[in-house]
Amino acid sequence: MAKYNLNEVLKQRETERSAADFAKAQAKAGWNKTNSFASNAEDPLHTGATPQQQLALDDVSRVKALSPGRQVFKRFVRNRLAVTGSLILIIMFVFSFIGPLFYPYGQKQIFYKFDTMNENYALAKQNTAFNGYDIDPDVTVERKVVNSMNSNIKKMIMSPDNASQHALLVLGEDGSYLIENTADNIYLLSSVDTEKVASLGSSTVKVGTYSQLGKSFEFEKDEIAGLAADAAANIKSKSGSFTSNGVEYTWQKGSKPKTFDVFAETDGLVFTGDDLGSEFEDALNDAVEHDTKLFRSGQTSYFLDQQGKRTDVYELGNRAEAAKVYTSYTLDTFNVGEKVSDEFKIQALLSIGKGNRFESQGVSYTIKEEDGVLVIYDNSGKEYAEFNLFSVRRYSGEDSMEYGLKKAISAKIEDMLEADQKTGSLIYAIPQQAEDGSAMKDEDGNYIMNDTEMKITQRLEGEYVINCEQIKYMIDTYASPSRAHVLGTDGDGFDMLARVMYGGRVSLMVGFVVVIIETILGVIMGGIAGYFGGWVDNLIMRLVDIFYCLPSLPIMIILGAMMDAMRLDPYKRLMVMMAVLGILGRAGVARLVRGQILSLREQEFMVATEATGIRIRDRIFKHLMPNVMPQLIVTATMGLGSVILTESTLSFLGLGVKHPLATWGTIINSVSSASAIAHYAFIWIPVGLLICLTVIAFNFVGDGLRDAYDPKSKR
Amino acid sequence: MAKYTIKRLLYSVLILFFVMFIIYILMYNMPMGYVETKARELASRPGATKTYTEWLADLNAQYGMDKGVVGGYFTWLKSALTGNWGDSWVWTVPVTQEFHDTVWYSFALGLISFIFEIIIAIPLGITAAKKQYSFTDYFTTVVAMICISMPTFFIATLLKYIFSVKLGWFDLSGMQGRNYMNLSDFGKFLDVAKHFVLPSITLIIISIGGLMRYTRTNMLEVLNSDYIRTARAKGVPEKKVINYHAFRNTLIPLVTTLGGSLPGLFAGALITETLFAIRGIGFASFASMTRGDIPFIMFYLAFISILTLLGNLISDLLYAVVDPRVRLS
Repeated sequence: MAKYNLNEVLKQRETERSAADFAKAQAKAGWNKTNSFASNAEDPLHTGATPQQQLALDDVSRVKALSPGRQVFKRFVRNRLAVTGSLILIIMFVFSFIGPLFYPYGQKQIFYKFDTMNENYALAKQNTAFNGYDIDPDVTVERKVVNSMNSNIKKMIMSPDNASQHALLVLGEDGSYLIENTADNIYLLSSVDTEKVASLGSSTVKVGTYSQLGKSFEFEKDEIAGLAADAAANIKSKSGSFTSNGVEYTWQKGSKPKTFDVFAETDGLVFTGDDLGSEFEDALNDAVEHDTKLFRSGQTSYFLDQQGKRTDVYELGNRAEAAKVYTSYTLDTFNVGEKVSDEFKIQALLSIGKGNRFESQGVSYTIKEEDGVLVIYDNSGKEYAEFNLFSVRRYSGEDSMEYGLKKAISAKIEDMLEADQKTGSLIYAIPQQAEDGSAMKDEDGNYIMNDTEMKITQRLEGEYVINCEQIKYMIDTYASPSRAHVLGTDGDGFDMLARVMYGGRVSLMVGFVVVIIETILGVIMGGIAGYFGGWVDNLIMRLVDIFYCLPSLPIMIILGAMMDAMRLDPYKRLMVMMAVLGILGRAGVARLVRGQILSLREQEFMVATEATGIRIRDRIFKHLMPNVMPQLIVTATMGLGSVILTESTLSFLGLGVKHPLATWGTIINSVSSASAIAHYAFIWIPVGLLICLTVIAFNFVGDGLRDAYDPKSKR
Repeated sequence: MAKYTIKRLLYSVLILFFVMFIIYILMYNMPMGYVETKARELASRPGATKTYTEWLADLNAQYGMDKGVVGGYFTWLKSALTGNWGDSWVWTVPVTQEFHDTVWYSFALGLISFIFEIIIAIPLGITAAKKQYSFTDYFTTVVAMICISMPTFFIATLLKYIFSVKLGWFDLSGMQGRNYMNLSDFGKFLDVAKHFVLPSITLIIISIGGLMRYTRTNMLEVLNSDYIRTARAKGVPEKKVINYHAFRNTLIPLVTTLGGSLPGLFAGALITETLFAIRGIGFASFASMTRGDIPFIMFYLAFISILTLLGNLISDLLYAVVDPRVRLS
């Protein structure tokens, strides 16, 4: 190196001398001409650089070389690989630390996009179920009755006789309810007080109880002659039958011991309580003849309840207001998404078959039947809504579809039925979905509509699923590189480039913090051990040996699994990881520093410091340390690369820095599954190369620094 | 020499004692380890008669975890010294059995990569040194640097991408092909060998760079030494100078380092084996580590530590054996 500088100095000398010679010749010529002393100041004899001056071995300018720092710098700059490495590092630092300041996206910002998504858009089906609306919420209806409403209504529809089709009495546990059919597909449920008064048709009636103990017979009503004696003669076992006076009787063990209940089969009218007289009987016979379920006799109403061969007659007492109205109609409004109150529906349903006019919230409406559909007109004669037996709803059940679309789907399904097809399709414009899932509007407030092909598939008898590719607002996962996202997005909708930038920040920061920790710890331990020697040295070095032997990767993996189990916060995790890496890594630094100090301690300048009585602390930190620095800087630079490697490996294994914090390791880990490797090569290859580049750059710089500090050193 | 060896051995045993103690402390304090998971599982089983805490106390007693750190460590040490390493909790076989089942795969993998590493790296390093500052030299240096700087997982992923996904030559991971059971013995061997190709390449790439640099540096040092200059001055042919004088002297540091890394062949490649699902000891220990299988981890880490200490010892002794100038003290 010195030779190189000398050459330069010599060259400079040479040019200076020739220039001076030239000037001298010129000056001489001028002096001869003008004989003036004006140019005396320019006389080379009076300037610093005399051309006559010869270079001597002890010449100041020869001995004077560059300062040590500049010399190192110059040697470093001459190493092309080292310069390349430094450039890469500078770019990397700018990219990760300054880049995010100018990049519009954050590392945890989730991106959304509008994209088509195939989904079940709507469900069309023939209404078979009946829906109930509360007319009077005060009238409580037993849950059991409500739950069996649909089957009761079905029973009414399926029943063969006209009377049963129109009315049904349901006996609940706490009361009785009457279901009446007021119009097609509309049923009214009301609670009613009932009392069984009689039964008609063949029925088993309890005649009395026979007690074996007293051989007595207790009759329920009138005494039947000879029955007591026959019973006493015949009743033996638990149950059986006997005849008395030509009537067949059956007996069964009664509730008390040695008592038997005796029953008789009767045909005809049997009153449960008092005889209601002939007027009732006439009315009853009339009702049976005319096939009606409800009839009146005197001031009271009666209801006939068919139970197999027997018909029970109930007296209807206080009849409450109708509690619920049931219908299989669904209401479709002509305005999109208009919510209709239950009150409106109830009023409309109740008015059907009773004048077809009703009033709701001050507006009067008229209902007209058109082709099996009940259309409701408002007072201006405009179509307002219609009751339909074929319902078309969004798949979620919500009524937010346009009337036209409903009609189009119904029409298409009718076509399909006629052509006996199971699938069909139509094209219709449906609204685009906005961020919150509602229909999206443009600046003018109009809905943004997209022509969409709707595929209709029959799922069950009378049930059709409408499937289409709807444009929705969703998380933009695994987007390919584009202008908005230069490196695309990852599986969580994060912008890749932003993640890579922030990931670089964490990776570089981890590298620096760990290296600083291990250098500080290593220098303190190594310095103390090396300087003091003796038992201190022994103790510290044995400790270092132990740490040197600890397998660091397994320990980091175990720690990672531990922190996983503790569910540590990602930032705290990062701190712990850096601390442990630093502590485990300090052993190498301590050894290096100790070795250096052991050799330096014996040198003359250290003896001199001792002789001049410099404080121990100053001796270590002012005289020893600066001489250890070059080695330390080189080791630290090389260490940075290896720490970044360790960190990325741990993060890749999922045991280092955790989601949502980005590091280069986690970014690669997020696309490391077998299928993702192939599809997201544009994510993991650049990131992997970044790791490589950074580590290579640190190694190049480290190599370059070592060569620059000590050109003769072994690599 | 014998005295030195014995001294070093005793010293290694002391270090091992403390190393294992540190590891035991770590393992002992592991939350949500195997015992806790097992206790939770047993407690939530239908018809469980004991609660979680009762099971935990039971299992801890069963596994000797109730004696405190120091007591537990000495219990472990005592049984380990008598050759009883316990049963692996995760693998449900004795630790030594699991070790025996897995270590030979690791050894095979390590040996293959070790041989290829030597075959490739040493000649390249020597060539680079012979033509210092030539294109070959720069090329070798940069390639070596790249190999050192690549994270293992990136190389593994890259190899998988190229050879498994794009070219379809190898399986992504695993040790056996789909119809392994139907193959003849030789076919089975070939099948496993095929699955070892990518992991071996990964290991070769990560280890080749260091050895290449080391060879180059040492060769350069030898080539700059006085006796080489003398040989050249005497007019010895260049070929003979390189192959006879220089190469032999380069071997001294190489043999010591390579000898020192021999025990490491048994240690297994933790990350490579895990990524390629090779059922070697590295793979087994990774699974154990993440699931808190204390007996197996303690055994594995003790094994690794012994190998490290053994490697250092071998390399120091070899140094004296190969180079008579070196005196051990």
